[in-house]
Amino acid sequence: MKKPVLLLLIAATQAFAAAPRELAQAYAAEASRQAPGFKASPQRGAEFYAKRFAVSDKMPACTACHTDSPARPGQHAVTGKAIKPLAPRAEAARFSDPAKVEKWFRRNCTEVLGRECSAAEKADFIAFVSEGL
Amino acid sequence: MKRILVWDLPVRLGHWLMVGGFALAWATGDSEKWRLVHVFAGSTVMAVAAYRLLWGIVGSRTARFAEFVRGPGQAFAYLKSLLLARPPHYAGHNPAAGLAIVLLLGLALASGASGWLTYQEIGGEWLEEVHEFLTGLMLAVVGVHVLGVVVGSLAHRENLVWAMVTGRKLGRPEEAIAGQRFVAALMLLAWTAAAAWWLAR
Repeated sequence: MKKPVLLLLIAATQAFAAAPRELAQAYAAEASRQAPGFKASPQRGAEFYAKRFAVSDKMPACTACHTDSPARPGQHAVTGKAIKPLAPRAEAARFSDPAKVEKWFRRNCTEVLGRECSAAEKADFIAFVSEGL
Repeated sequence: MKRILVWDLPVRLGHWLMVGGFALAWATGDSEKWRLVHVFAGSTVMAVAAYRLLWGIVGSRTARFAEFVRGPGQAFAYLKSLLLARPPHYAGHNPAAGLAIVLLLGLALASGASGWLTYQEIGGEWLEEVHEFLTGLMLAVVGVHVLGVVVGSLAHRENLVWAMVTGRKLGRPEEAIAGQRFVAALMLLAWTAAAAWWLAR
């Protein structure tokens, strides 16, 4: 009686855990079409995460709202509202819904970078946020 | 027919507050930088719509729902009649405008409520989808409403946009309303400011 439930729970957590990796792979595959041999790098993702783009004065970098660590809860720089951690190890549902991920990349890249992010940047970002350094 | 006062100040002020609030909310919907402005603008639309419901019961004669809300059948019959040489003229809201008002008030409240619940993180991601859908639908109704106003203005040779600014339209003297209702207009402003501030805080 208990075993199927447990298996289902494991399957569910694995589905969550696998989702960011699959999403990162999809972005990496797109990036390697433009730059053959592309491989997602948590190191580049970390640099991107910490970089001051300084396009927006309220939101000069990812860290303005998401703090220096994606594993920590953040705070909206304009509204002051709490933001759940970006890292899937801290907030399991992160990067499990591709449509939601795309929407927030589009919104936040447009305002923080002043342009949309490339597939390579997205792959690096997810690699850093989900795997850490 | 003479130019008579048909729209009181709360109706006109409320109309243009909704126009401004909706436009601003639409322009800032996708931005985190303008998130507070978006919520304040959307709250303004919602607060005006709520006040309009009350004004539709206790307001000037031409503002009352009982005076101008007709079924969709009459609304479409009126729209068809605009193609005729001499369409029937209404001093107050025509049946098509009445339908637009009901739809826009309903959508303003529903879109505002879904947006506010999303902002307060009470609803999930799905509620944000509902909010976007309702707002898109509202923009579509706005489009049809504006088109109707243009066609109606041409058919009646009467500038209906300007009528919503001055409150004056062609009509028989006995169809005029008694006055501007300044106090109710001030109450609308006070209520909208208070409600929008409370909702957006």
